[in-house]
Amino acid sequence: MNSVLVLIIAFAVAIVGYYRYARYIDRKVMMSDPKRTTPANMYMDGVEFMPTSKNVLFGYQFKSIAGAGPIIGPIIAIQWGWAPALLWILLGSFFIGWVQDYSSAMIAMRNEGASLGGLSYRLISPRARLILLSFMYFYLLLIAGAFGNVVVSTATGLKSAPMAWLFLTLAGLLAGQMIYKWKKDIVLTTVVTVLIAMSGIYLGTLAPSDSILGTALANNRVLWAIVALVFCYFAAVLPIWRLALPMNYVASYIVFLGLLFGIIGILLSRPDFTLPAVTDFSIKIGPIWPIMFVTIACGAISGWHSIVSSSGTARQLENEIDARPVGAGVMFVEMILAVFALIIAGTIYASPTEYGAAIAKGPGVVFAAGVAKLLNVLGLPLDLGRSYGSVMMIVLAITIMQLVIRFMRVATSEILGDVSPVFKNLHFGTIVASLLTAALVLTGWWQYLWVLFGGANQLMASLALMLATIWLISEGRATAWIFYPMIFMFVTTVAALLYTSYSLLSKVFSGAVQGEALIGNTLMGVVAVFLVIAALVLAWEGQKAFARFRSLRAGSSVA
Amino acid sequence: MTDEKKKKGGFFHAVKEFVYGAAVHDSARFALKSRANMEHLFILITVGDMLGAPVLPPYYSLNLLPYLVPQIPTWKRRMLREKDLTDALA
Repeated sequence: MNSVLVLIIAFAVAIVGYYRYARYIDRKVMMSDPKRTTPANMYMDGVEFMPTSKNVLFGYQFKSIAGAGPIIGPIIAIQWGWAPALLWILLGSFFIGWVQDYSSAMIAMRNEGASLGGLSYRLISPRARLILLSFMYFYLLLIAGAFGNVVVSTATGLKSAPMAWLFLTLAGLLAGQMIYKWKKDIVLTTVVTVLIAMSGIYLGTLAPSDSILGTALANNRVLWAIVALVFCYFAAVLPIWRLALPMNYVASYIVFLGLLFGIIGILLSRPDFTLPAVTDFSIKIGPIWPIMFVTIACGAISGWHSIVSSSGTARQLENEIDARPVGAGVMFVEMILAVFALIIAGTIYASPTEYGAAIAKGPGVVFAAGVAKLLNVLGLPLDLGRSYGSVMMIVLAITIMQLVIRFMRVATSEILGDVSPVFKNLHFGTIVASLLTAALVLTGWWQYLWVLFGGANQLMASLALMLATIWLISEGRATAWIFYPMIFMFVTTVAALLYTSYSLLSKVFSGAVQGEALIGNTLMGVVAVFLVIAALVLAWEGQKAFARFRSLRAGSSVA
Repeated sequence: MTDEKKKKGGFFHAVKEFVYGAAVHDSARFALKSRANMEHLFILITVGDMLGAPVLPPYYSLNLLPYLVPQIPTWKRRMLREKDLTDALA
């Protein structure tokens, strides 16, 4: 099948989903009202609550949610065949993904901009908030571990990546200095720092890591894990304007240009899918259900989006009718990004054997090879394209990873700060988060880690959908469009986490694994079991809230 | 300006805003939050007794009061609003 046809189908699904389904829900169920005051207008403190143009919020939401998730997931999931992966991306986004993003923003907006923690406190119970925060710590740990693995495998698999990464870091530091300290013009800063980053991509091809460090060090996973975590330590500990924000700023141009030209490359080359449409129901990491449904996370549905929508976007929407383009619209764009990644994985290798050899080195290698091939259509040499693709992959992973380690530090301080003051220490909290991440990165098999990340991420999504359902019940509105997706996601993600933890822990208890694998399997298995228990407790609290609001509605309708 | 020119201008303006949103908006919000943190901390140590914190407003704080009055509702709401990790993730 030709990839352009797949892209057309994806656009068609996005258009129907956005202009028909999302519009119907927005107008008839949520009844968005352009005249209703939003929290951004009500409070307008110029800090968190600020009415912002929907175009700006569109870019902000997209940048906040588009990371390595929509790219890595499809690249791994194609092992079940590109057809089931494509179906899940399209149907998941159509029926569940946009529903979650949009409803999180709307419900937060209708509740004075409350965050998920605040909403769970208000709608479910005080205990629910505490459990949610504990859930989130381990969820963040899995994100850091899964994305850390992507960074390490890309740095070891593509020798041009480290030099490009170094120059991007230097460009970020310089951008921060120029903007915040030297007060230089933003256009000048952008041109200078993006050029520095681009020159790093070029230099990466001339001076690959094995020519500088030697083959042994260049291939050493421990070394690159330490490099990644030291990088994240500084990004988390330094003032955010010094490294994290300006590096994200410079990197955003690299990523967007890469995606834009990549899609143009697909439209010009019109490659056919070379991998099979369907393979086996069950592969090494597990059966198609539930595992494929959590392997492709962000491209279909992701709990991370609900956090961004509720805590960030909802406080900036200047008009209720902007929630659809920002919440639903951006999710459909992310769906297109996931289809782009699926096309890369499905078209650049001549056979499943060639794909198998590439994926063993890491999904970043596959992505970089795909970007190289697509940019080559536009005239860029393959090695330069690979260097470009590798830095895109590292950027997409490390920008989220450093943010997550920063939040893990905040979470440590919040949850354990009263137990001992040492947990409130900036450096201690960051080191604890980094060591736990390192343990996962170095001891866990990356495909299991990705499945666990996907499972936790989408379990987070089902909890967000549960909150939205409870709110809708409290308002006496139709719930089927959220309730059934919530049930499907909850059952699928709990099944995926239980299946994966069983696979991991059974190897531990049977003595089939030793050394690093023993540590990795135990850690991942225990985290997975904890997440399931936390989710089941939250579901129990949630169903009590359902019953409570239903009886309230029944009582008020009788009266 | 013709309708077509207005539409094109509107499209380019939308693209410009999208790029701003994706690349810079986060940094701008962070700068605003940093400034607000410092300002509100200052208000807390000068007129914190408005929230029940035992800070006796010294003479010069009372002098500052007319200048602080416009910000006091925002400051109170932000200080008293319950926050948790999920707020930090914005």
